[in-house]
Amino acid sequence: MNASFIRTLAVCAALSLTSACVTSTVDEMTFNEPTEGIGDSSVVILGRRHSSDYETEPDFVACVGDHITSHDTSIRVIDELEFLNALYPWFEPRTAPLYPKNIEQLLQQKPVAQKMLALKLEYLIWLDGSTVRTEGAGSMACSFSGCFGFGTWGHDANYEATIWDFTDQAEVGQVNTSASGQSYMPAVIIPIPIIAPVQGAACDGIGDQLLEFLSSEY
Amino acid sequence: MTSVNRRRWLFALLILVALAGCGPNRVIVDGNFPPPLIEPLPLTLGVWFGDDFTQHEFFDGTKSRNESGWVVTTGEAQVQMWDRLLAGLFEQVIVLNSPPGVGRSSSAVAAVLIPHVEELQYALPAHTQIKVYEIWMRYRFELVTVDGQPIAEWTMSSYGKTPTAFLQSDQEAVNLAAVMALRDAGAHFVSQFTRIPAVQGWLQEQGVPSEAITP
Repeated sequence: MNASFIRTLAVCAALSLTSACVTSTVDEMTFNEPTEGIGDSSVVILGRRHSSDYETEPDFVACVGDHITSHDTSIRVIDELEFLNALYPWFEPRTAPLYPKNIEQLLQQKPVAQKMLALKLEYLIWLDGSTVRTEGAGSMACSFSGCFGFGTWGHDANYEATIWDFTDQAEVGQVNTSASGQSYMPAVIIPIPIIAPVQGAACDGIGDQLLEFLSSEY
Repeated sequence: MTSVNRRRWLFALLILVALAGCGPNRVIVDGNFPPPLIEPLPLTLGVWFGDDFTQHEFFDGTKSRNESGWVVTTGEAQVQMWDRLLAGLFEQVIVLNSPPGVGRSSSAVAAVLIPHVEELQYALPAHTQIKVYEIWMRYRFELVTVDGQPIAEWTMSSYGKTPTAFLQSDQEAVNLAAVMALRDAGAHFVSQFTRIPAVQGWLQEQGVPSEAITP
């Protein structure tokens, strides 16, 4: 066994130690899937921001979009902020359509219809949910000589993706994902965070299902 | 410089640094506001931004400006946002350099809009235990003729929030919440303006086609 193999093994072992476990579940219900893929049409993923006590994180929306485009480069996912600015003020929390039937009313405005045509928008995906920190425990004390103690905390992620077919103005699917995990931080002089990638697991879960729906290759 | 003098200077510097940390958190709201995607009304509108509007800032009303925990300056961003919004909503917009009033007459503008920020409130995670920064604003609008005769007057609220985020300071989060509140104000204005009965009557008088006026 050569030295570089042992070094690689050591790095892998260290990396696996620095990430904690996450459990996640995904429920999916879709119909009218585009069997040939979406061609040169585009998709936009938007976060729902109607609730007063949480907000779908823009980072999570971007993560799901990146997951889709990194696995199938032929799918064009429009950036959320770019879309919101281009269609301002029709997709702000106050004015965004709540039901697919509201799209028709929106398209009655000539500049909106022209913009949608230029964007070649085929699917609009709403993401609703958030990741919250749950109960924590432990204590840590830090001084000039370093930190000592142990801390642990959990994260729960719950998201729902609703797919609207923009051309047919109908809902064509829903994907739910939930993930939870416990993070740890032991400290003997130096604190070592062992973070559970809860939001990342939820992003992968929902991204995989959306990829199956949108891509002809999956 | 003697060592005693050097120590005195160092002490004075430390005191200054400590005092600098005692003032309120200041935020000068800064954001980019997109133009609205809408068919403009075929009218020329005058707009008057008063000093209370262009220099609008908010601080805790129960305390003095320097004792308040936060001083949020929105004036510049307000003007920037409303300039952009109104320029998209009307065929032409003229920003007036003096307020409308008796004795003034001009056929250049159909009417003059005067926006006021009546109230601004904020909530931080430390106040509410919810990990969201929030800003509410209440506007009052006056639509008047060039010589100051009232056409319509109405109030409108707007709301913006932003979640806490790793490596995002309180100031950045308050700024983002204010930008969201300004965007919401624009969205509310666009969806409300042609629904106000007095405004609808004025638009009909001006010969604006009925399909441009929301029933």
